[in-house]
Amino acid sequence: MDKTYRLKFSEREWIKPVFGVLIIFVMCIVFSPTNTKGDLVFLKFENLTNILRQVSENGIIAVGMTYVIIAGGIDLSVGSILALSATITAFGLMDWQLGFLITMALALAVSSIAGFLNGAITSWGKIQSFIVTLAMMTAARGFALFIANNNSRDVGFGPGGAPSVFAVFSTSYWGIPFPVFIFIATTLLFLLVLKKTKFGRYVYAIGSNEEAAVLAGLRVKWIRTYTFVLAGALSGLAGIIHAGQLMQGNPNDGVGFELDAIAAVVIGGTSLMGGKGTLEGTFAGVLIIGLLSNILGLHGIQKDFQLMLKGAIIVAAVFVQEGGIKLHPLRSMSRNKGETSRR
Amino acid sequence: MLRTSNIKKSFSSVEVLHGISFAVEKGCVTALVGENGAGKSTLMKILSGVHTDYTGEISIDGKPVFFKNPRHAQQLGVSIIHQELSCIPHLTVAENIFIGKEPARRFGVVDFPKLFADAQSILDEFEFPYSPNTPVRNLSVGWQQIVEVARAFSADAKIFILDEPTSALTENEIRILFEKIRVLKKRGKIIIFISHRLEEIYEIADEIAVLRDGQFIGKYPVKEISRSELISKMVGKAIHETKQIKSSASSETVLAAENLEVYGKTGTILSGITFDLKRGETLGVAGLLGSGKTELLKFLFGELKAQHTGRITLEGAPYIPKCASRSLEGSIFYLSKDRKTEGIFADLDIIKNCSMSVLSDFASFGFLHEKEEAAAVRDQVSSLNVKLESYHQSIRELSGGNQQKVLIARGLLHRPKLLLLDEPTRGIDVGAKAEIYELIEQLSSSGISSIISSSEIPELLRICDRILVLHNGMPAAILAAGETSASEILHYAFGEGKAWTKPTD
Repeated sequence: MDKTYRLKFSEREWIKPVFGVLIIFVMCIVFSPTNTKGDLVFLKFENLTNILRQVSENGIIAVGMTYVIIAGGIDLSVGSILALSATITAFGLMDWQLGFLITMALALAVSSIAGFLNGAITSWGKIQSFIVTLAMMTAARGFALFIANNNSRDVGFGPGGAPSVFAVFSTSYWGIPFPVFIFIATTLLFLLVLKKTKFGRYVYAIGSNEEAAVLAGLRVKWIRTYTFVLAGALSGLAGIIHAGQLMQGNPNDGVGFELDAIAAVVIGGTSLMGGKGTLEGTFAGVLIIGLLSNILGLHGIQKDFQLMLKGAIIVAAVFVQEGGIKLHPLRSMSRNKGETSRR
Repeated sequence: MLRTSNIKKSFSSVEVLHGISFAVEKGCVTALVGENGAGKSTLMKILSGVHTDYTGEISIDGKPVFFKNPRHAQQLGVSIIHQELSCIPHLTVAENIFIGKEPARRFGVVDFPKLFADAQSILDEFEFPYSPNTPVRNLSVGWQQIVEVARAFSADAKIFILDEPTSALTENEIRILFEKIRVLKKRGKIIIFISHRLEEIYEIADEIAVLRDGQFIGKYPVKEISRSELISKMVGKAIHETKQIKSSASSETVLAAENLEVYGKTGTILSGITFDLKRGETLGVAGLLGSGKTELLKFLFGELKAQHTGRITLEGAPYIPKCASRSLEGSIFYLSKDRKTEGIFADLDIIKNCSMSVLSDFASFGFLHEKEEAAAVRDQVSSLNVKLESYHQSIRELSGGNQQKVLIARGLLHRPKLLLLDEPTRGIDVGAKAEIYELIEQLSSSGISSIISSSEIPELLRICDRILVLHNGMPAAILAAGETSASEILHYAFGEGKAWTKPTD
C-alpha cells in the first residue's frame, strides 16, 4: 500500500532505551565531580573508555542473552560458563601449554557445548530453560572448580608462560581497550544477524508463538538450541576477555553475571515473554548500567548503596518500557487491546 | 422452577442469544440440544455466573436472581459440570471433591480424616474403584469425569447443569451417572443435560429443549417428538438454500486414504477412514465436537504425532505424514482453527507473518532480501483484499477475518497442492466469510484441492463438492453436497446409523 510507510519516531522499539542512555549521560555530566583543574572527571576520555571496558564482558554476554530471551527462554548459566571459560583459558595457556589459538578454540568449544546442552535439554527434554540453565549454572561452576582444583590460576608471560599475544586483551589501541572493540563488533555482527537473516526472523517467531512456528514449518527445537549455543559461546568469549583483563582464571568468578545480563536485556526493552526486543536496546541497557556504576563510583559511593540503586533503576526502566509513560496515548491503547487478546 | 426470560447476550457487538425465554420444572430432566454454535454453552455460562453482561432475567422459584460470579451462582444453588475437565490433577480425589468447602478444624486446618471419610461415602455411591487419596492425575479421563460429577452432586444444589458429561465416559460409567441423575430427579432437583448423543437424551431426559442460532425453538416432551423431527427442528428450514457452484474437480486423484486408523495415547482417534480427493476438489469434513475433524486434518499435516495404520497416497505415491516442515515441502498447507494460539505471530508485522514459511525463497547465505520478500507478500496479500493500513503494521491490529486472509496468503505463497483448512471462517464476520468462500472457489478452479472442516453445515454445503461426515472418529457417510441437506448431514453426524429418510412435513 504505502511504500514509504515508516513507524513514527517514538514508535520504534529502541527509541526509549536510547533516550534513556542520553538522559543518563546528561545526568552524569551534570552530577560529575570535578578535579583540581576544574575539569569534569566523568567526561575525561580515559573515564569514558574505562566505562566501555568495564561493560564489555556484560555487553557480550547480553548479546547472547537477548537472543535466548527473544526466543522465549532464559539462560542462568552464563556467569558459570564465563568462569569455566576463563579457567580453561588460564590453564590452557599456562599448565597445558596449548598455545593461544588452540586455547581460545578450546574455551569457546567447551562453552558452546555447555550452551548446546542447555538448548538440547530444553528442546528435546521439554524442560523449562529456567531449570535446565539453573542446573548448568551449578554444573559448569563445578566443572571449572574441578579443572582448577579449587584454585585460581594466574597467567604470566615469559618462558613457560602464556604467549605474548594474549596481552592483547589488556592492551589499548588509539586509547581504547581491545575488549571494547570485541564488544562493539559482536554487538554489530549479531545485530545484523538478528535483523537481516532468516535465523533472526525465526528467533522472533518462536518467541512470539511457538505453536504457530511449528505449524509454519520452522524447526523450532533446533532454532531454540542455536540461541543457547550462541549464549554459551559468547559467555565463553567474555570468559576469555575476563581472564585476559585480570591475567587470571578464577573458577569462582562471574557470580551474578547472569543477572546483570538479564537486567541489561530487560532495561533495553526486550520482553521476558519472548517475541519482542532489539539488540540496540540491549546495547543501551548495558551502557545505562555501566554509566550508573561509573558515576556512583566516581562519587565514592559504596557498593551496597550502588546495588540498591541498581535494583530501583531496573524496575523504573521496565516500568517506562511497559508503557508506564505513554509517548503516544492512542497507539499504545490499541496495542494494549491486542495484548489482552494475545495467547 | 428455573425460568429465564428474554435473555440476550452479545460478544463484541454480535448478538449470539436473541431473547431466550424458557422454564424448567423441578424433578425433571431437561435435555438441551442444538447444533454447534446454537448458544447452548453461552446460555449455560450465563446460568452458572460465568457471563454476567447479558440482558433479561433469571428467576429461581419465582424470585429473580443475578449471578455475580460462578461462586455466587454456587451459593444460590447452581452446580455445573463443565465439558472440559476442571479437576486439579495434583490434588487427591477427596480434595477435588471438597475443594472450596473442606471441613475445617480450628485455625483453618483441614480435617483430613473427615475429608477422606466423607469422600469415601460419596464415592461409594458411584462404585468408585480407587481410594479417595489417589491423585486425580493418575485416573483415566472417564474416572476424572466421575470425580467431577461427584463434586457437583455433593454440593447441596437445586439446579444441576451437565454440559456433555458423557463424552469421555464408558458405558458402565454412563450407567452409574444416569442412576445418580435419576436419584436427583426423585429428590426434586432441576437437571439440565446437554448432549450430542441422541440415544442418551432419549434414555434420560423427560423434555427436550431446542436452541437454534441463539433462539429458543421450543420444548417438547420426549415421548412426543421423533428423532428426525428433532433434527429438523435443530437445523431449521431457512438454510436449505445452497448456492452450489460448478465443481472444478478433475478426475486425477491427489490424495487417497484407505482404511486409515489413527491411535492416540488414550485410544483410537480415527478409524476406518477411506476417501479420495481429486485435483481441484473441495472435500468438507462435518461432525460434532469431538468427532475427529481437527484430528484428521492435523494428522494429514503430520502434526498429530500419533501411530497409524492404513494406506495413504499423495499423487499416487505412498505418503506418511511426518511433521509440518516435511508436509510444507510436499506442498501441503494446514490452517489451524485456533488463529491466536496456532496461527499468527502477534508480535510481528504482516509481511513477516506472511512470509514465515517461505523465507528460504528470499534468502541467500541466510541473509534476507527484504525488498523481494515484501514485493512477494504484497502481490499475494493484495489479491486477497485485506484491509490494512500498512504492511509493516502488527498483525494483531487487524480484524479476525483479515488476519485469516494473511494466514491463507502465507499458505498460498507456498504454492500448495493441498490445503487443509480447519474451521477457516471461525470467529469471522459475515462479509469476510463470503470473501473466504469465494477465495476457496477460485483456488479450487486453479487446481488446488482442499479439505475443509467446519461445524457450520451450511458453509460446507456452499463451498464443498463432497462432504465426509464423521461420528466418534468414524466415517458416517460421504455425501455429494449438491444432493444432500443440512438435516441429512446432522442425522449422520449424530450417529443415527440407519439410512436417512426425508421427514414428511
